[in-house]
Amino acid sequence: MNELDLTGRLMADMNSQLLEFLQTKVNTFIKWDLVRFFHDNPHTTDTAENIARYAGRTASTISKELSELARDGVLEKNQLEDMAVYSLVTDDQVRDLLEQFVEASNDRQFRVKVIYHIIRGTR
Amino acid sequence: MERMKTGVPGLDEMLWGGFLPQTANLVEGAPGTGKTTLGMQFIYHGIVACEEAGLILTFEEFPQQYYRDAANFGWDFHQMEQEGKLRIMMTSPEVSKADLEQIGGRIESLVQEIGAKRILVDSLSHFERLSKNPTHLRSIVHGFINSLKREGLTIVLTRESAALLGETESSKDAFAFLVDSYVLLRYVEIESTIHKAVLVLKMRGSNHDKGIRQFKIASRGLEVQSPFEGREGIMSGNPRRMADSFVEAFVQH
Repeated sequence: MNELDLTGRLMADMNSQLLEFLQTKVNTFIKWDLVRFFHDNPHTTDTAENIARYAGRTASTISKELSELARDGVLEKNQLEDMAVYSLVTDDQVRDLLEQFVEASNDRQFRVKVIYHIIRGTR
Repeated sequence: MERMKTGVPGLDEMLWGGFLPQTANLVEGAPGTGKTTLGMQFIYHGIVACEEAGLILTFEEFPQQYYRDAANFGWDFHQMEQEGKLRIMMTSPEVSKADLEQIGGRIESLVQEIGAKRILVDSLSHFERLSKNPTHLRSIVHGFINSLKREGLTIVLTRESAALLGETESSKDAFAFLVDSYVLLRYVEIESTIHKAVLVLKMRGSNHDKGIRQFKIASRGLEVQSPFEGREGIMSGNPRRMADSFVEAFVQH
């Protein structure tokens, strides 16, 4: 079986909206962590430094990913005085999709697919 | 006069009915004394007994921690969030202060979204890292408290005291002057057993109980009990029987 066959098989039964969310927005492990963090803490508004501390990472590790999630419409980036702060967008559609994604992530098979996709995407 | 009941049996009597509306109320104590529980009880009671939505502003604990801790007392905070009666916002002192200073900030939006009347700020101690200058720090906290009052909120602010037993360094305390009421929770050692004591140190604009009472954290939250009787030096953390003091002062000399 070639790689395309395997990819097709792994992704075939995935909800198309979730697949698109995965392919276009949550395409790294750090973003996966971050969207899960904002799912669990939906009212968090904070700087990259503080979010990194909450998530047990460093600001340099997550800054680029936070910016990309903001660019892709998952997070909001606002300027407060001299601080750039991030929060989850209030858009119901995005929040619903995030809820579905995190719920689906509780399933081992789904997680395997996400891991496969992210690894494949980073090559 | 209208009061904002805490829902803590015995404490509302000590406060002559509860906190005054739109006031800042400091609850200070050592780790494990029940500051956050008291704050959560204040929020919970507002939602279930007074139809007053609440907001929890946390600078350290994750919302999941509040859900878990509240569930231990039979309070379903998760459900309350889903019903739009509660919001738990995790942020930092610097961001919350800057957010409140702008028009239409995140906190203001949340307050308006659920019609919040009560807020728990857990904890004020985190502001201490914003400035080493006491005057500047006092100004920062003053602005923060005023912005919450501006939103029509009655505020419970928790604050950690370093000393497990005995006196704290109150001479350096700038926050006590900024708040409208000041409730102290303390550990007290009596005959090799640790008890908990509560004292209302001040209450601006109202009389209050001046006694030092025992309290416990029961299955449904805090419960204030009877005053410590026949003992003195309670707030030292190591009280003596009054009879012993009499003997020491008069008989032995």
